Amino acid sequence: MAKTTEVTVWATGVVQDKEGRDVCLVLTEAAFNEGKFTQAFDNYVDLPDRINVQVRKYARISDAEIENKFEYENHRPNIVGVCEATIMKGINVCKGLQDGGYLIINSTKKPEDLLKYVPEKEKKRLKAIACVDALGIAPEQLIDYSGAEGAEDVSAIGLGLGSAMAGAIAAVSGIVKKESVLGAAANRTSAKRGYDEVKIKVLK
Amino acid sequence: MKERYKKYTVEIPEEMALPFAGIVEAPKVNGEQPMMLTGGWRIYRPVVDHDKCVMCKSCVLACPDATVLLVDGGQKIGFNLDYCKGCGLCTWVCPVNAIDRVPEIDFEDGVPFQDALFLLPHVEALYAD
Repeated sequence: MAKTTEVTVWATGVVQDKEGRDVCLVLTEAAFNEGKFTQAFDNYVDLPDRINVQVRKYARISDAEIENKFEYENHRPNIVGVCEATIMKGINVCKGLQDGGYLIINSTKKPEDLLKYVPEKEKKRLKAIACVDALGIAPEQLIDYSGAEGAEDVSAIGLGLGSAMAGAIAAVSGIVKKESVLGAAANRTSAKRGYDEVKIKVLK
Repeated sequence: MKERYKKYTVEIPEEMALPFAGIVEAPKVNGEQPMMLTGGWRIYRPVVDHDKCVMCKSCVLACPDATVLLVDGGQKIGFNLDYCKGCGLCTWVCPVNAIDRVPEIDFEDGVPFQDALFLLPHVEALYAD
């Protein structure tokens, strides 16, 4: 069975709904341009979307055709992105993380300070934890529903916070190349800054 | 002035007093409804400056989840942080600006930690190795 890399992105409802979706879309488009099989979708259990509720966005990247295409949740993610660090305080974002997984958080804090919100079981599986000040790099958080629930996105993909997060995820995990991410994101500058300015703490 | 309006007022005994209309009663036991714990939504926590507070109780009426509590025998304003979702209405209605919004991530505690959202028995197996 071909290896499928699963990405789960946590964001706050309405405010970061598009940005969370953009992280997945930028990563999958970058991987698609590299010739991989990809899939990006929202979590349906989190709906209806309410302001500041925790929502999940998913992406799958694979070398061969994705076998679990119609499973609607990533229960065993390889990479977890958190668009708002406060979410980690109330919920175990790393639940079901696979061994050697990565955690990338949008925060101005150091990665060491946020490690306390990860329970022991998941902490052992983490390969690296990283922080990027995505809100400082790209402060736009566009509220736009055109791309929700599988519809076509009329606004550009990766204009704000999402592009910096996608750059950081690519830098930490290496699932896609730098050039691919910069090409996929509409805001090339912030994707590049996210890629370069991410603070990584390797745990094992 | 008081005498003038006295004929319009009705004395209600305390045992007959009703909770204010249109608002569900706040959960008394924390974690009673685990799927409805909204403390994790909060990004900015309301913090009361008790020196500025004049106990007008506008925030008690304004809170949509009835999470503003009267503590210390009704002498002070407190919050049920397990259910406060940080909407900021109490800050908005406060006439003396006594309620601040402080980033939740700067506090050590105050948010109930959930293992997963909507965790049902058949879902738990999918997270296992």
